[in-house]
Amino acid sequence: MPRWVGFLVVAYLVSMLHADIPRATAQTARAASQSSGAATDSPGSPTLDYEFFKTRVEPIFLKKRPTHARCYVCHEEANHALKLAKLTPGSTTWTEEESRRNFDMVSGLVTPGDPLGSTLLRHPLAPEAGGDAFHSGGRQFESQSDPDWKMLADWVRGQKTK
Amino acid sequence: MTWNTRALPFGILPILCFLLAQTVAAGTSRIYVTNSAGDSVTVVDPVTNKVVQIIAGIEVPHGVNFSRDGKQVYISNETDSVLDVVDQRSGKIINKVHLSGHPNNSAVTKDGREVLVCIAAAPGALDVVDTTSMEVVKTVPVKGPLHNVYVTPDGKFAVAGSVAAKRLTVIDLKTMESVCDVSFDGGVRPMTFDTNADGSTRRIFVQLSNLHGFAVVDFAKHQEVSRVMLPEGKYGKEEWRLGTPSHGIAVAPDGKTLWVNSILANAVFEYSLPDLKLLGHAALPEVKRQGKPASGAVPEWITFTPDNKTVYVSNSAARSVSAIDTQTLKEIASIPVGEVPKRINTLVLP
Repeated sequence: MPRWVGFLVVAYLVSMLHADIPRATAQTARAASQSSGAATDSPGSPTLDYEFFKTRVEPIFLKKRPTHARCYVCHEEANHALKLAKLTPGSTTWTEEESRRNFDMVSGLVTPGDPLGSTLLRHPLAPEAGGDAFHSGGRQFESQSDPDWKMLADWVRGQKTK
Repeated sequence: MTWNTRALPFGILPILCFLLAQTVAAGTSRIYVTNSAGDSVTVVDPVTNKVVQIIAGIEVPHGVNFSRDGKQVYISNETDSVLDVVDQRSGKIINKVHLSGHPNNSAVTKDGREVLVCIAAAPGALDVVDTTSMEVVKTVPVKGPLHNVYVTPDGKFAVAGSVAAKRLTVIDLKTMESVCDVSFDGGVRPMTFDTNADGSTRRIFVQLSNLHGFAVVDFAKHQEVSRVMLPEGKYGKEEWRLGTPSHGIAVAPDGKTLWVNSILANAVFEYSLPDLKLLGHAALPEVKRQGKPASGAVPEWITFTPDNKTVYVSNSAARSVSAIDTQTLKEIASIPVGEVPKRINTLVLP
């Protein structure tokens, strides 16, 4: 094999390695920010607060709203975009480790600063109120004035626990 | 003007007969609707097309069936993995049968002795519930998680479908053993059957994932023989339902027509039997959206009144059930029900 062919192969592999670095760096940065209790999408966008998520957002997933099934019933370890950690038998809340896992997962379904641009808020919102055309879990929120929907929106806008 | 008093009773007679027939019809059938994203089952009187009962306290109900005498309603409960037994008259839960795993749809044998419940949790099975002892007496192993199960019109077999395993399984109801499988290139969704002159099963019509139509299976040969494609439509993408373009299929009680839901066309199509010629379609309601074009109703299931006159379609995105006149193919009533109505079934009271 001519030496120039080998050189080209090596050059190509090096360029591929470098092409992957920005993505790996971004993932590392995001993981680092999330494990420290905050998640952000891009510079200037609000930071998602872990404590707010744990105390205000997570309970919404377990809440029984009249005439509706709970979010958790369908999204427990489910094959959906929203996949919540399975509660320990007999437990009514998630452990710290499970909440961290939920936070990482749910953070991937929102665009910080943009509630209606976030699947988490748009999908269960009634189509008549600006939501997606169909959610197999139904119209969990009839309007954007629903207190639970507003709580989710506050989290996406970066509100922190007071 | 004078009344002919002797003729009066004869003039009134047809009216009285009509009213009596209406009263009898009102008392003889009910449409049950499981609200799959809710916690209830809605019951509709097909004469008035009004809700007459709500069975509460069943979070994520799936299948609904009835005892032979119509006194009990069986509802598979996905949240608690039980079969809820409900008193038909009061609508109250009177028993809970614990199943071997997370259930989906169910069926009842012709003699009413067993309820068959699909177990959707891996590896999949068919639970057999004895309706006298009200306990699971057998769990039939199958090759994949089960979604829907049916009893063939002659009552001899159960046919269960698996979305994940892309196959249907035929189970002999005498031995409660699997006798054959038929594999497909897509997940097995709803099914229905037509019959030979002697009442035996002739064909299975099978809806599949990613197929806007249905497969035709020769029951004796246990193999697919053809496919029928539905007319196209503009819906489905916004509703995230392109992978399930057609859901809900049923043969009318008189056996003369086949009805097939289309999510893409937002309609229910009518075909003649046995030749499978397209006869027409009924449009289903649209869902209004804020700031966007209207979307489809996402039809899920079909049932009929026993007299063939009305077909009912559950509209999962529209939170309603459409009552459609089978002659005019027009919606005669849109009945508001609960969250994401899916399975619907007709109870004929003795």
